[in-house]
Amino acid sequence: MNNQSAPFFLQLGILTKRLLLRLARRPLAELPNVFISAFFLLIYDGALGGVFGGSASGTPFDFANGNFLNFILPVSIVSASVSGGASGIYLVEDIESGVFKRYQGMPISKWAIILAPIAVGAIRVLLQATLIMTLGNFIGADPATGNSGYFAVLAMAFFWGMGFAGYSVAAGVRSGSSQGAQAATFLFFPALFLAPTFTPRYALKGWLESAAAYNPTTYVLEGMRAIMIEGWVLDDILKGFLVAGGFAFITLTFAVFSARTATEKS
Amino acid sequence: MFAVEAKNLKKTFKSKDGDVEAVKDVSFHVNEGEIFSILGPNGAGKSTTILMLTTLLRVTSGKGSILGLDVEKEDKKVREKIGIALQDTGLDNLLTGRELFFTTARLWGFTKQDAETRTSELLELVGLNEAADRRVKTYSGGMKRRLDLGLSLVHKPEVLFLDEPTTGLDPGSRRVLWDEIKRLREDGVTIILTTQYLEEADELADRISIIDNGLVVAEGTPDELKAQIGGDVITFIFNNYEDSKTAKDLILNSEIEGNELRVAVENGAEKIPDLLRKLSEKNLEVTSVSASKPSLDDVFLQVTGYRLEGASDQEVDSEKELSEYE
Repeated sequence: MNNQSAPFFLQLGILTKRLLLRLARRPLAELPNVFISAFFLLIYDGALGGVFGGSASGTPFDFANGNFLNFILPVSIVSASVSGGASGIYLVEDIESGVFKRYQGMPISKWAIILAPIAVGAIRVLLQATLIMTLGNFIGADPATGNSGYFAVLAMAFFWGMGFAGYSVAAGVRSGSSQGAQAATFLFFPALFLAPTFTPRYALKGWLESAAAYNPTTYVLEGMRAIMIEGWVLDDILKGFLVAGGFAFITLTFAVFSARTATEKS
Repeated sequence: MFAVEAKNLKKTFKSKDGDVEAVKDVSFHVNEGEIFSILGPNGAGKSTTILMLTTLLRVTSGKGSILGLDVEKEDKKVREKIGIALQDTGLDNLLTGRELFFTTARLWGFTKQDAETRTSELLELVGLNEAADRRVKTYSGGMKRRLDLGLSLVHKPEVLFLDEPTTGLDPGSRRVLWDEIKRLREDGVTIILTTQYLEEADELADRISIIDNGLVVAEGTPDELKAQIGGDVITFIFNNYEDSKTAKDLILNSEIEGNELRVAVENGAEKIPDLLRKLSEKNLEVTSVSASKPSLDDVFLQVTGYRLEGASDQEVDSEKELSEYE
């Protein structure tokens, strides 16, 4: 008899790898999400780049310092971060199929079971953000901080995506349904558009400017834009990291507490 | 020390409509190396009993132990000793059989090399070598059950819980699974098997506990249980239910089920003419009569007052209701 279960991080790695395999085996369900944010980057740049790009130099609309791609790239990356919300769906699928119960009957950590889909969500966000930045770089994005700026943006996207992953896992566990997990994405849309999405905050109308001030997405966008447009402006960048990190911390804690309820014996 | 022991196990689920006692009082013990079957219709409390013994459900009162380990206080140690194949544990349909075995072995702490070896052993054991690299979603029902059985054996458990392992399988697949279960017993694994099939309990079990409505109503080896009935069972079949009902009043200790009346007697062949005379005096038309040795079906009928076959369907709704509480 083998009665020694794997150590925690090995369990987490094995369960994460299993979910990644699942992901790879249904590309048609995953690829549209991967490409949609990249698609919108092209659309945003095509539709608005002519007005707010190089031709805006010397006008009050020159908030992108002549390169609108640098301004709009963070919007696509923040949009991509919502794909972390798929984590809850992965977990709910395991609950609905009975795989979750199988793991509960083994002496493996319940935290590994809960954290694996969150890790997969974060990996997915990283892949999507990398794809968008590669495309952005190819079509003319040029971070003021140099190429190292891309890594800082990627790190911020990672935390922001973890936040959505944690939220969707908590929603999935609490509702026990895929719909509950998908609710994470509904939260995202008002959050994205009650923010300085297409213009800087100062150019928004009064009510929207006030709403944006209370919206965490604003600070993540502004942090990424500082990296892309202005350089290492620590004040904005730190605010971005604090908000993204804080969001991840809060939702992961929420996920852990929700999971504790779900994994407790009735 | 018993391999498994249940002492006055009780499980109550809270619901909006009041408490539901899924298991009222269940006690039994299972010796090491034995196949022990818990027999009963859906909703009898079999699965709930198994869930408590496998640490997946809290015990309301009473005590359960596996190889001397308390299922409530030492649940992690218990899970290391047992293998579980429940009705509703799932398989990852997007992975292959080989990947599932390998992943499970790694989670049990096997090194990569040992996990590969164990995977090969188990694929051979459950006869899935040829389908090893196919995704599970392409497997038949029988193959999935064999895979499920194999997954519960990855860590070489000392005690194996099988919850209705052959429900929904065709007779051929059922027979294959039975052979595998028997082989495991030969290897010294203690097996607790719930079933609603009398034939399955009769074929596999060393001892049987019949559970009805959350209570143990009979326990013993199949032969002991049949011996409780004694002698032979005479079966009369009438033209209609009214006749069988009238006949029940005439023949002491008889049980009816539709047009059929059964009675346990000593020396059935000798008693048949007397009983037939008694029935014809009341103008009750018997369409057929037979005498046979008691079966588990007769035992079940005697201890519960109804037959297991057919009862299952009636009880499905109550099982569904229970699962909502669970």
